Amino acid sequence: MAKKNVRAKGGIILPAEQPAAAGELRPVAWERRVVDTATVEVAVPEGEPPLWDVETRPQVVGKPLARLDGPVKVSGRADYTYDQHPPGLLYGKIVRSAYPHAKITRLELERARAMPGVRAVIRLDAADLQHSSAAAAAAEPGTPAAVQPRQAGGQSRNPIFAGDEIAAVAAESEEQAEDAARAVVVEYDPLPFVADIESARAPDAPRVHAGQPNVRELPAAHGEDGDRGDVHAGLLAAEARVEGEYRTPVALHNALETHGVVARWEARDKLTVWAATQGIFGVRGDLAQFFHLPPHRVRVITDYLGGGFGSKFGAGMAGIVAAWLAREAQAPVKLMYSRKEENLATGNRPSSQQQVRLGAKKDGTLTAIEVISYGTPGIGHGAGVGGAARRIYACANVRQQEHDVATNLGPAAAFRAPGWPQGSFALESALDELADKLEMDPLELRRKNYREKPFKALRRQYEIGAERIGWERRAHWQRGTGPVRRGLGMATACWPTFGGPPATARVTVQPDGTVTLTVGSQDLGGGTRMIAAQVTAEEFGLTPYQVRVELGDTRWELYGPASGGSVTVTSIAPAIRAAAWKAKNQWLEALAPGLGTTPDKLRLAGGMLHGAGAPLPFARACARLRQATISAQADRAPNYQRSLTEMYGAQFAEVEVDAETGRIRVLKIVAVHDCGRTMNRLLAESQVNGGVIMGLSYALYEERVVDRPTGRVMNTDLDFYKLAGTREIPEIEAILLDAIDPRGNNVNAKGLGEPPIVPTAAAIANAASHALGLRLRELPMTPDRVLNALAARA
Amino acid sequence: MKNQNSKRGALSRRGFLQGIGAGAGAAGVLTPAALAKLRPAAPESGSAAAREIELHVNGRARRVQVEPRVTLLDALRQRLRIRGPKRVCDRGECGACTVLFDGRPVYACMVLAVDAAGHRIETVESLGTPRRLSRLQREFVRHDAQQCGFCTPGFVTAATALLRRNPQPGEAEIREALSGNLCRCGTYPKLFAAVKAASKGGRQQRAASAGGRGGRR
Ligand code: FES
Ligand code: FES
Repeated sequence: MAKKNVRAKGGIILPAEQPAAAGELRPVAWERRVVDTATVEVAVPEGEPPLWDVETRPQVVGKPLARLDGPVKVSGRADYTYDQHPPGLLYGKIVRSAYPHAKITRLELERARAMPGVRAVIRLDAADLQHSSAAAAAAEPGTPAAVQPRQAGGQSRNPIFAGDEIAAVAAESEEQAEDAARAVVVEYDPLPFVADIESARAPDAPRVHAGQPNVRELPAAHGEDGDRGDVHAGLLAAEARVEGEYRTPVALHNALETHGVVARWEARDKLTVWAATQGIFGVRGDLAQFFHLPPHRVRVITDYLGGGFGSKFGAGMAGIVAAWLAREAQAPVKLMYSRKEENLATGNRPSSQQQVRLGAKKDGTLTAIEVISYGTPGIGHGAGVGGAARRIYACANVRQQEHDVATNLGPAAAFRAPGWPQGSFALESALDELADKLEMDPLELRRKNYREKPFKALRRQYEIGAERIGWERRAHWQRGTGPVRRGLGMATACWPTFGGPPATARVTVQPDGTVTLTVGSQDLGGGTRMIAAQVTAEEFGLTPYQVRVELGDTRWELYGPASGGSVTVTSIAPAIRAAAWKAKNQWLEALAPGLGTTPDKLRLAGGMLHGAGAPLPFARACARLRQATISAQADRAPNYQRSLTEMYGAQFAEVEVDAETGRIRVLKIVAVHDCGRTMNRLLAESQVNGGVIMGLSYALYEERVVDRPTGRVMNTDLDFYKLAGTREIPEIEAILLDAIDPRGNNVNAKGLGEPPIVPTAAAIANAASHALGLRLRELPMTPDRVLNALAARA
Repeated sequence: MKNQNSKRGALSRRGFLQGIGAGAGAAGVLTPAALAKLRPAAPESGSAAAREIELHVNGRARRVQVEPRVTLLDALRQRLRIRGPKRVCDRGECGACTVLFDGRPVYACMVLAVDAAGHRIETVESLGTPRRLSRLQREFVRHDAQQCGFCTPGFVTAATALLRRNPQPGEAEIREALSGNLCRCGTYPKLFAAVKAASKGGRQQRAASAGGRGGRR
């Protein structure tokens, strides 16, 4: 691809006025301050729109505008998967194992089949699901594949966790489906199991996956973002050392809309599904494979999604079973999981036990970071602790050794910044312990050690955060002498920028003035629809409310990535801008001759076409083209320069701890973040608030509790699995800096979904430990743990 | 607050009964060997006396056929296709299913449909339409008090009840009144701001300072 070298300016845009605190209605000043600039050379591929850099002042992008779909959502008219109700709909229900490990000695479906209203009953055990590639190759399109549908692990079709799928039914009413599910007779021979890390690591422990050891060391990363140097030498060279074990719980996603699918066969080889998913194309791929269909015979629709947080990729069991039941019953089937099923079988954030050793020189320079972790992903995988120890601080000697420990519990799934909040909690707690030992201010220790990179805003973020929380008070801190003590703490956020190709967008301009943007993404709640509209509107000089957005449907064959890892905006917004820019140019070219001018003389702004006599309203200009519809499509160009900086941030917490009750109350959190160019300040603040609140909830309340003798999860509901609610929300100040690196993409986007949850628990733990003058090394920091820590000291 | 949902109501719920009946809710009580012998309990008869009742929903009388075990929430969603109230926990823990029951906010998942006959039910659909939003709904939009939006109908409904009861609530009252509702996306700060802005005090404040941030219109 031909490229053009362009000079552009990178730098950091500071909000001139600090944003209003939550609840205040202060107008945001648009005067902003550009600092830390540097000029760079960027190789821009042919066909890309003009580069944006730190001096660019878009008209629509970046504004704090209310989201496009707000009115639909607040009036209860947004249609989620859960709300789909095609005619003739049946309800599906899965029969799940009561045991963490067992042999099924009898599975009897006949009674269920005979129940009133029952239209299909299928087995999900070994008999129907054994692997056979020969059978797969010979299969008729539309017949269920003989593949193992479970996402991870599980070679045996013996149930290997309490909640494992055994059979499924579909019936005319949900009550009938429930009755039928209970009429399925299952007899078991219980087998030995492991339900916690300690027993799973024992030498003679029962194996979770037949023939595989329970403990698996994860592959190590090397290089500047991985293991490097020699930690032993680093520890020897240290003048101060700390060592400690930190523990984090298994946490449950609990998106409000559960996993589920509504499936309808249009023909023997044609399937439509509405899916509660973060990735419509992933669902399509899985279903096409399972049912031996070409991808274009499967249509996946996700208009609105009630949250996912990483747990909703792929068709999953819900998708496969719904489609399978629909096929058997020859009628559409809705299979939405109950809260209990959601919390047993659809994913979780794995636990961690981390042994951390740090070494430093007297002046605070880090000489060694070592993290050895064990965590359980249940029957799944991926219990690593993320990149905090490797990527945030400059240290010559780093080693992180991670282990998955399989247990007979539901599989882990990606959960907002997978691994990072765990790793951040351990590392940042240990850093505070080191600061204590060095008698150094904890913020100073971070400032001394963070990695400097071009267009990285961290130094500024530390500064602003410290000022907004009043960090200088910490120097002569009054903890309080009564039972209620106060403390201040902080931690650093980081997440690598992942977005890139492939992603495709199409923009269509119709003679009536309708501008339609079509993109193969889905909106999880982060506001993808709105940002897509803003980027389109920017090129056409319209308001975003004049743009029609189509997304969440595979039928247009415009690919977009699954929304996870903070990639959505970074991947699709550059494709959208390129498509909108192309469409606008084509439209101007088509229009110019009729106006007796050339396209370069024409300009779109404020809903008007300028440059040919009196300004012409956009819709009137469109009408001049009579029937002509202008349409342009563009792909996401690769990042202009391969390596991009990560997103960074800093969070500061002020807490109050009651030493008599053990209760921690968070008073205030200042969260300073960077997502490249902030596409919409209002939405970005919501993302930051959401990450902070989820992090706070993780820090103080959330923990999956397993009954060891039976291997069952005891708190699958929202009463005993406590989430932060209205009473626990502190004052949150969400502040966005724009660290603009023009070498990334044509809208300078970097992503924002994950970073805000990364440091919150660590910042709160550091503040609570500061308040108490002792270290809290286990999450969640519940009153009993606080009181035990106090008792241990006494 | 949601006093409709007494503990007795909870005990009469079908989900609870099923849990016990199938042994699924008895974790930790029985030994694995004893559990293995359990057969599924005889199902509660699916056809048990479905009867026709009249529900007064959003100003209209609607006749539906329900079994006694069917909740108001399921009757609204599955029989009447009113999809605003959401089912999230199905046991009175999250507020996503909140409806107004003779003007009071209740969890529709905790009321049996047969017990709702003859009472006045309002769902979020009756509080405004996308083109004609209520003042509260407009403030929700303006403040971005929704992300994924799945909890939003419940919050809008509960907050509407609060403002009808107390047009000028303080922040503590707002938090208290909405404490029966959960939002996993963490929209709370903006929810509080939206309710405050829609309250009497908020309106006056706004008129005085002429325009806030992020307004669509
Ligand atoms: S669904 Fe009714 S309270 Fe949660
Ligand atoms: S907006 Fe997603 S749960 Fe509240």
